[in-house]
Amino acid sequence: MMDPLLLIGAITVGGVLIGGGVHFIPVGGAPAAIATATGVGTGTAMLAAGGGMTGLITAAALTGQPLWLILAGGAVGSSIMLGITMLVGNLVYVWGVGCVPASAKVEYDPITKYEQSKFVTPGTEGHGIPTVCFVSGIIGGALGGIGGGLIYWALYEGLSVLPGYSTTLTTSGVSLGAATVAAIFAVGVFFVNAVVASYNIGGTIEGFHDPKFKRFPRGALACIIASFIAGLIAVLLLKGGVF
Amino acid sequence: MSAEEGAKKDIAPSITLALGIVGGLVGIYLSPISVIGPLLAALGAVCAIVWGAAAIRRVASYGLGTGVPSIGYMSLAIGIIGVLGGLATAIYLGPTFSIVAPVIVLVLSMIFGGLVALIGKKVVGMKIPILVSCTTELAGASALSVLGFSAAIAGGYSMTAIVTSVMSTGFIGLFFILNTMAIQHPFNACLGPNENQRRTLKLAATTAFMSMAIVGILTIGFNSHWWLISMKAFLADSFESAASVRYSGLWPKEDEQ
Repeated sequence: MMDPLLLIGAITVGGVLIGGGVHFIPVGGAPAAIATATGVGTGTAMLAAGGGMTGLITAAALTGQPLWLILAGGAVGSSIMLGITMLVGNLVYVWGVGCVPASAKVEYDPITKYEQSKFVTPGTEGHGIPTVCFVSGIIGGALGGIGGGLIYWALYEGLSVLPGYSTTLTTSGVSLGAATVAAIFAVGVFFVNAVVASYNIGGTIEGFHDPKFKRFPRGALACIIASFIAGLIAVLLLKGGVF
Repeated sequence: MSAEEGAKKDIAPSITLALGIVGGLVGIYLSPISVIGPLLAALGAVCAIVWGAAAIRRVASYGLGTGVPSIGYMSLAIGIIGVLGGLATAIYLGPTFSIVAPVIVLVLSMIFGGLVALIGKKVVGMKIPILVSCTTELAGASALSVLGFSAAIAGGYSMTAIVTSVMSTGFIGLFFILNTMAIQHPFNACLGPNENQRRTLKLAATTAFMSMAIVGILTIGFNSHWWLISMKAFLADSFESAASVRYSGLWPKEDEQ
């Protein structure tokens, strides 16, 4: 049986990775939806749903593999999903709206060194997803995917050996009950941390170059506490796995 | 009837809270009854959704900065964690406690919701005075709505039944999104200067019965007539609140060139 402390630890670390990852994702919210702010034009919850769930599906597809492979699967899945979202968003901003991807938070893009301020339309907070935001978003997706994968792995390993869950084995020896319970619990922890992190950000952020990124430590602390409580509830799941 | 007469006093939070807790728990407790049990459990979930919509309406009217859906997703996430943890706790405590499982679910979710809101207030520094009380209510409403629909499908609220027929089949993922939509959509759709609680709650009843109809399809049995009744009431109220509703036709032909 899995050590309850290891489970709590895995969920806490996973939760912090998720909450930290959200700080990297260029969330533009409603202003970005009308191309008056940099980032993807939707809220954190939607981006977390897209990136997080894809990451969990790719992580869960590797159930039974070594831990590093599950974490890599989650990271790659989440990053690809966010990458596609940002790429297609940029296509719409450039060819649909007709604006240049430009950040209003920095004078020069820290990665490409291109000048930004000249291209920011007066009266807006930037538009589109410039290179630095894109790279930041990919990092955020990877962190979130690793966190989600870690929570899924810890819960699945803990639950699948319990008598209550070993009755629903598939042909390949995967416990369906444990896999689905672990997955939905991981999705739950994902959303709690994503929303707590987005409360910390205050709605919109461009990425690691945004001045709001300085709030990161406070967000990480909030996520540590929230995930720790979720970890305690997960121990109850382990204790009540005999049915 | 003028708009002033139409705008009746808001329903008190204590009434929606009582509706959600009592309706939700009674529905869930009656779920093992054969034939009508699932219907009663789903009706309990509907009560919980209306309670959740009333709570989200109060907290989100302060402006969360992240939109109405985010707190809806968060509370449903808390609710699902609470449902899993609460059902497992009842098993851990022993067979005599299985009867109080739904109460443990409700209490555990509300505690977790309250703690997350406290973190939001103390650590993150959010300045919404009713954040803690409303998130606590929302978490409880979410948990009861998920447990109600799960009990409707599983035909009972035992961990074994729910793991086999709701978790393993993946319906829980559907409930996550379905109940989030049912709870957050009413206020998200109605918010604005002319928002009125009774109208928002009528829309909450339509989304709740709509979700129930989907659960009904999953449990083989249709309950969509309740959706029609509440939708009709919501539309009538919307027409009443509007200054006028006219069909303007398509734009004139000469403007099209």
